[in-house]
Amino acid sequence: MRAALVAAAAAAVVTFPYWSRPWASPFATTLLRDALILAIFALSLDLLVGRAGMPSLGHAAFFGAGAYAAGIAGQRFATDQLPVTLGAAALVGAALALLIGVLVVRSEGIFFLMLTLALAQIVFAIAFQWTAVTGGSNGLSGVGRPMLAAVDFSAPDLMYVLVAVTFVLAVLVLWGLARSPYGRALTGVRENERRMRALGYDTARLRLSAFVIAGTIAGIAGALSAYSTRFVSAQDAGLGNSVRAFVTVLVGGAGTLGGPIVGSALVSLIERVVPSLLPTDLRIADAILGIVFIGFVLFARQGVVGLGHATLLRVSRR
Amino acid sequence: MIEIRDLRRAFGGVMALDGVTLTLADGERRAVIGPNGAGKTTLINTLAGETAPTGGAIRLAGRDITRLRPWQRARLGLAHVYQRTELFAPLAARDNVALAVAARRGPYRMFRAVPRSEYAESEAVLERVGLAGRESVAARALSHGERRQLELAVALAQRPRVLLLDEPTAGMSPLETARITELIAGLDRALTILIVEHDMDVVFRLADRVTVLHEGRVIADGAAADVRGDTRVHDVYLGKAVTVA
Repeated sequence: MRAALVAAAAAAVVTFPYWSRPWASPFATTLLRDALILAIFALSLDLLVGRAGMPSLGHAAFFGAGAYAAGIAGQRFATDQLPVTLGAAALVGAALALLIGVLVVRSEGIFFLMLTLALAQIVFAIAFQWTAVTGGSNGLSGVGRPMLAAVDFSAPDLMYVLVAVTFVLAVLVLWGLARSPYGRALTGVRENERRMRALGYDTARLRLSAFVIAGTIAGIAGALSAYSTRFVSAQDAGLGNSVRAFVTVLVGGAGTLGGPIVGSALVSLIERVVPSLLPTDLRIADAILGIVFIGFVLFARQGVVGLGHATLLRVSRR
Repeated sequence: MIEIRDLRRAFGGVMALDGVTLTLADGERRAVIGPNGAGKTTLINTLAGETAPTGGAIRLAGRDITRLRPWQRARLGLAHVYQRTELFAPLAARDNVALAVAARRGPYRMFRAVPRSEYAESEAVLERVGLAGRESVAARALSHGERRQLELAVALAQRPRVLLLDEPTAGMSPLETARITELIAGLDRALTILIVEHDMDVVFRLADRVTVLHEGRVIADGAAADVRGDTRVHDVYLGKAVTVA
């Protein structure tokens, strides 16, 4: 029953452009596509922040690395084939996460946060200045189309389907991890690392493995972003993008699958829909996002999902 | 089972352990007593691998473990009950124990639910320590005494060869103390136990042998009955005015 509901919801999400056409504009599809890319990115970050208790402020490094990898691999190998470009994105995301992870997993809390931030800034600086490879401040244009055999996913509706299918797969993977002995071990690391070590868990390796899985998925999200806009900006690997993912996770609710998804919907609305309702010279979307974030940090640490849960409990007790 | 040779640990200029040599036979139950600051907790933490020794060596079942990390020692069969409870606060008692059960099978099992057998085993251990019916309660919602019981359950679920108990009855009511003492007394005789404890009733109920630490040195070591009558022990540990019942 539950599996059937999930399958139905997944099918509805994936086929959105086709059943929404009578009443929704193509802009809705683009908006939802970008929200889903943000959701994949935020879900991967939540594996660290919410599940394993590793507050990374450098997650955009992997998103950016994946975006560049997809674009550059396509150009260097002169192919648009998804297995090559998306595979390169996942591989580079994983490799970079392994490299950075080795340096950061033994630190905790604020030190972990600052280290991930600093190392990600190095990645950003390389992207920004290595003009010959990344296009530097001009960005990487001419990212190839995502092709699977002869199917071209670059048309808006198919591009959306590619993103939505990846999103559904990412949710399934992270759900599978969360309920597995592995996911529970990460929860243990979050709650009491000392006790985990005393139980015989190599916690540094556990944290590193989570870091690599999260980096891989973030790299895939970056590649989807590159396919969508056919462009990679150095800002994709920048601090702003790391903060955006972090805010998405916290506003939605860390440590849950629903939280980052709800958060990405909310952040997308504020970034993309709210400005269109305001006078064009009033560029305050970032300020609104900041205020919303501060509001959640001060009054609702558990995010939207936590608020909803608390409300449900209150209603059911009556 | 455990051989400690000339173990030293300095904190700044203070020698918390100043050349401790101890041997625990297989299945032996050894109490380590001594006044505050004698180095008892440092001894336990050094055995568990959480504090690195400044000198000396530790062997577990013949194997040198002096340089091994805590998780490696745990894999070799060392379990640690902390003086201050170390649990997974928001997790249910059942999940706290299940993490110990799962540790033996390794954490890299992805994409399948936690096997029921691990929960069944966890519930059996909880029943053994007297926490039947409390399986679903979060660790932080348990009473202090129950958390100590849970701490013991977590350690037992590791199926250790050696159990390090750092004041297992700390902060417990007399009734709770009596219960947990009987529980430890009833454990498998093959299990080697090293217990640090202030409560002399508990010490003499549980220990085959007693070691007295004072300022990081062993000042007395012998069968429980002998140490009970040792006047030096009375002097350093109990104060001259107090006698051991």
